[in-house]
This record gives sequence, structure tokens and C-alpha cells, in this order.
Amino acid sequence: MHSLKTIFRLSLQDYSHERLLSACAILGLAAVLAPLLVLFGVKSGIINTMVDRLIKDPRNLEITPIGSGRYGQEWFSAEARRAGVAFVIPQTRSIAASMVIYNPNGGQPRTLGVDLIPTGAGDPLLEKWGRIPAEDTAVVLSASAARKLNVADQQAVVGRVGRSVSGRKEQVTVDLKVAAVLPLEAFPRDAAFVRLALLEATEDYRDGFGSQVFGWPGKPRPTGSRDYPSFRLYARSIYDVAAVRDQLLSQGLEVYTRAEEIEVIQSLDRSFTIIFRLISLVAVCGYFASMASNILANVNRKSRHLGVTRLIGFSTGSIVWFPVVQSMATSVLGTAAAAGLYLIADLTINRTFARYLAEGEHVCRLAAGHLLFAFILTLALSMLASAYAAFRVAKIEPSEVIRDV
Amino acid sequence: MSNSSIQAVGRGEIVELPAPGLLEAPRVFHLQGISKHWPGDHGFKLTVPHLTIRRGEKLALVGFSGCGKSTLLDLLAMVLRPDEAARFAFFPTPEENLDVAVAWQRKDLDGLARARMRHMGYVLQTGGLFPFLSVRDNISLSRQGLGLPAQNAVETAAERLGIERHLDKFPSQLSVGERQRVAIARAMAHEPSVVIADEPTASLDPINADEIMAVFTELVEEKGVTLIVATHEWERVEKGNFRRLEFHLKKNTPHGIVRATVSG
Repeated sequence: MHSLKTIFRLSLQDYSHERLLSACAILGLAAVLAPLLVLFGVKSGIINTMVDRLIKDPRNLEITPIGSGRYGQEWFSAEARRAGVAFVIPQTRSIAASMVIYNPNGGQPRTLGVDLIPTGAGDPLLEKWGRIPAEDTAVVLSASAARKLNVADQQAVVGRVGRSVSGRKEQVTVDLKVAAVLPLEAFPRDAAFVRLALLEATEDYRDGFGSQVFGWPGKPRPTGSRDYPSFRLYARSIYDVAAVRDQLLSQGLEVYTRAEEIEVIQSLDRSFTIIFRLISLVAVCGYFASMASNILANVNRKSRHLGVTRLIGFSTGSIVWFPVVQSMATSVLGTAAAAGLYLIADLTINRTFARYLAEGEHVCRLAAGHLLFAFILTLALSMLASAYAAFRVAKIEPSEVIRDV
Repeated sequence: MSNSSIQAVGRGEIVELPAPGLLEAPRVFHLQGISKHWPGDHGFKLTVPHLTIRRGEKLALVGFSGCGKSTLLDLLAMVLRPDEAARFAFFPTPEENLDVAVAWQRKDLDGLARARMRHMGYVLQTGGLFPFLSVRDNISLSRQGLGLPAQNAVETAAERLGIERHLDKFPSQLSVGERQRVAIARAMAHEPSVVIADEPTASLDPINADEIMAVFTELVEEKGVTLIVATHEWERVEKGNFRRLEFHLKKNTPHGIVRATVSG
């Protein structure tokens, strides 16, 4: 034990005595490792930012039907239960799903025709950017609609629905309250997100029926199950989009998704990973060879001194650590230097691209785990690189080397 | 065939000068029928029919270069494996007994290394000091390897050898003579029972050589250490009351092999 400890110290004292050579070895390692860390950092930073944007953006989860169909209550309950589906809600006929919103407040009264979009508990779009309307008379306005109407959150507005019954124009109104205003990126058109009840009442009114809920005149709608021409559907995650899409396609539906864009990024990630691995492999092989030859040359140069340690009586089992300890020291200090260089590069790169990035996004990013992995890998490779040198040390015959001058 | 010729050489020419009063002392080494052979065109074979070295003895292996002194030293230091060994016993203390022949057979290199570290010191002709260690660290190396406290022993040894002011220097800052003093201090600092020195003064000027040899022998006598010195200059050690062991060489002309024999 003392013998091993003494050899460790001996090895480190030699390492620090030959500080110029040791510094070269450390810089040699840092010169290989730092660019790899930066490359990997940029790869994972860019890909993660893109993937994060994909994942965090509910619009990428949306599966939009093209054209119209007939979807009954049963279809909706089946879809809602399907694994991979986060949210599904019926959409009424698009021609009937509109309303004029009137803002009587402020200097100049304004009106705007908006699309009505159904929403309800679990709507990812509103959960991210707005608030789910709690009452049938609450609306969430898109940014453009709110701007044109000059209304803000919590303001009261009036909704107007018109119809023409045998040539005669009729109109009903409903007092609404703005529950939230979506940011611009959430929805591009003039739209109001409302609960399904208001949409159904609007459609019924246009069909000539009345609504008890909103007190609109007309004969009641005949009872019986209702079919819807369309729907809003969101997958649970971007990884579910393709499967849900394929399932809908198999039902004969035409749908639009952003699956292609997601796949582009995923394949970009895979390609980057392959390129990164190739570069790493070449760099690691080169470094391994140069490190192994360095250590071996060092051991050969010191064979006399190592012979003397045997002559003094240090065991083979402890002397073999002499080159190993030095290469471990190189890997610790070299990784630290590489990490330092990486951090400088990380700060510079992220600062350069700061204006293209949202809060918490990075162009260059390395998790602590990745750094730790790089260190452990370097340490293991260094020890492996010194294995042959250690073997040579074990074979040193004191009687052959101690009298060399 | 070789046996008979060795016997013939051995009988007439071996010179033994046992130091008075030491014959009764316990043995440190007991060797019988040892040989080491280097094959090749200019081959060499050392034979040691029998050799006993007693505790506290000062033994000088005398002979010119290539006579087998270093080979015998390395055999005694247990760093060279003998080809034949009828008996090779090392008694590091009167109570302990290490069968070196068996240890070599069992390839118990670590056992031999342990015995070497604990009980032996080795002084080389030149160098042998670690350039990357201070004088202090060089001297305390064996003590550290053994886990012994170093401070006092190192300073005492350095004082005795007159190098106490160099303790924090590196070997490259010292003269050749000072380095040999450090080497002696290193060989002695862990209080071994045997010190082996291979031409310890050969690279020194005569005045320095005598001075260092004098302090060296004084030190081993004081500690009761057994000293085995290889030298080509008998005059250097004559004053020190050494037992002289000579090597007898014979050249086998047809094969050019040199046979050396030593006994005592």
C-alpha cells in the first residue's frame, strides 16, 4: 500500500518535474477534445433548440382534416380514447362557424367578422398561449382580432349572428366576455375561440332553429345525434403525430400535418450524430495513437529510473502504475483545459446568436452529463493507451538497465 | 564436464581472507552451487560453488571489468535469476530466513522485492538518483515505500554524510561526489541489514573517493550493517578491513566463452 502510494507520488513528481512535456501532452489532449466538445455542443444545441421548438409548439401537434366529412359522437369518443391523441373536438360547418363581434366601448365602436373555433378543456393551443373559456359566453380572441376590435383581456363585447329566413334578414346578439387574447404566433387569422355550445347554437340559428341556452328565437332543434363535418385534433407529442396521421389516413381521411417537418429535423439529428461520430472516431484514434506512443517513449526514456525503483524493491504491481498515473493526470488536466476552452466557445457562440434565440434556448449547449461522459471516456482511453507502456514497465529487468549511463 | 573444470580452478586459486572474529557471527547469505550463464559467441558463465557472508561483515568483490562482479551483486540483490541454485538462503535478520532459490522458482518476484525494500540498500556507480526528486525525497524513498516516518532518519543520514545543506536541492545541482553521498544515504536511511555497492567510488577523484569510502565504512560499522562492495581498486577498500573475494577467469578457446568462478 505504501509502495503503491509512493509510486503514485513518484509518478506525479516526475510529471510535474517535466512540466514542459506534460503541458504539451495536456494541450495535445485539449486540442483534440475542445473542438469535439464545441462540435457536439453546437450539434446538440441546434438540434435541441429545433426539437424543443417543435415539441413546445402545439401547432406541430395539430392534425387538420382536408375537406369535410361526417363524424358522429361515437367517432369522437373513439378518437379521444385513442393513445397518442391529446385533444379532439368537433367543428361545425365552416360557413356557419362565424360571427360578427362588436365592441361598443372606447372612442369609436368597431365591428369585425371572425371565425369561430371550438375549444374546451385540454386544448393544447389555449393551454399554452391563452386560457380555456370557462363559460359559454367567454371568448378567446386571436391577436389580429383583438387588435382590430381594440379590445383587451376581460373586456365585454357583443356577438351578432345573422340569418335570412325566406328572404327576411334576422339577427340575434349575445353578450360576450374576452377571457384571453392569444399572442400573434398562436393563430394567424381573425378568430374567436369559444365553447362548442356557442358554435352549435350559431349553426342551429343559421339552420332556422332557436337556442334555449342563449334565448334565441326559433323552433327547437329536433333531437337526435348530431354529425359534424370537421374536427380539431392534437396529438399527444410530436412523436405520436405520424402514427395518428397514419391511423386517420387508414380511415380514408385526408389530413394535413407537420410530420414531414418533424421528420426532417429528426433525420437531421440522425445525420449530425453520424457525422459527429465519424469525426470523433478519427480524432480519438489519432489521439490514442499519439498518446500511446508518447507514454511508451517516456517509459523507454526512463527505463533506467524505473529499473532503479525495482532495485529499491517496489513491486511490479505498483511500478506499472507509473505511466498510468501520468496519463490519468494528462486526461484530468487535458479535459479540464478542453472544458475551459469549450466554455469560452459556448459563451461566444451563444452571445453571437442571442438575438435569434428565445429565453432558455442555446445554439451551443452541453449537459453536465455529456461533459462527465467525455471525461470518463478520456480517462478510460488514456489508461488503455498506457496499458502497453505499463506492460513494458513490468518487463524491465533492473540488471539490464541500472548500469546504463 | 563443466563441474570438474570449475572444481579444478577453484581448488588452487581461491583466496579467502576471513575477518577475524566474524566467523562465529550468524550468516546473512548462504549460497551453494549457483551459476548464471549468458549464451552467445562471447558468452559468459559465472559459477559460485559456495559463498557464505556473515552479519556485519565487509566484503569486497575484487576484479576488473567483466569478471562477474556485477552479476554476483545482482544475484545477491535478488534482481537476477540464477540458472542453477542448489542453495540460496538470505537471512535478513537472525530470526528470518528467505529461500531465494525457491522464491525464484515460484516466480515470487514481489516477495523478493519486499525483502529487498525492507532489508537491502543498493549504491550504484553513478546516477541511480531520481532527477525529479529532491535530495530529501530521494533519501526517504525506501522509508516512504515501507511506510516509515522519514523526517529524522533522513536528516540524520544526511548529516552523517555531510549533505544536510543540499536536502532541498535536486541531484542535477550536486557534484558527482555529493550525489554518491546522497546515494549512500538513500541506501542506508531505512536501516537495512545489507548494503550492496557497485563500484561506489569509481567515478570519483581519489581524494573524494577515499573520503566517501571512509564515511561509508564508518557508517556501516556503526550500524552493524553487512556491506558488499564490488570494486576494481583493492587499495580503495584495503584500509577498511574488508574480506577480499576474487574472481578467477578461464577462457574456453574453442567457443570463446569466459568462465568465472568465485567462492568464499
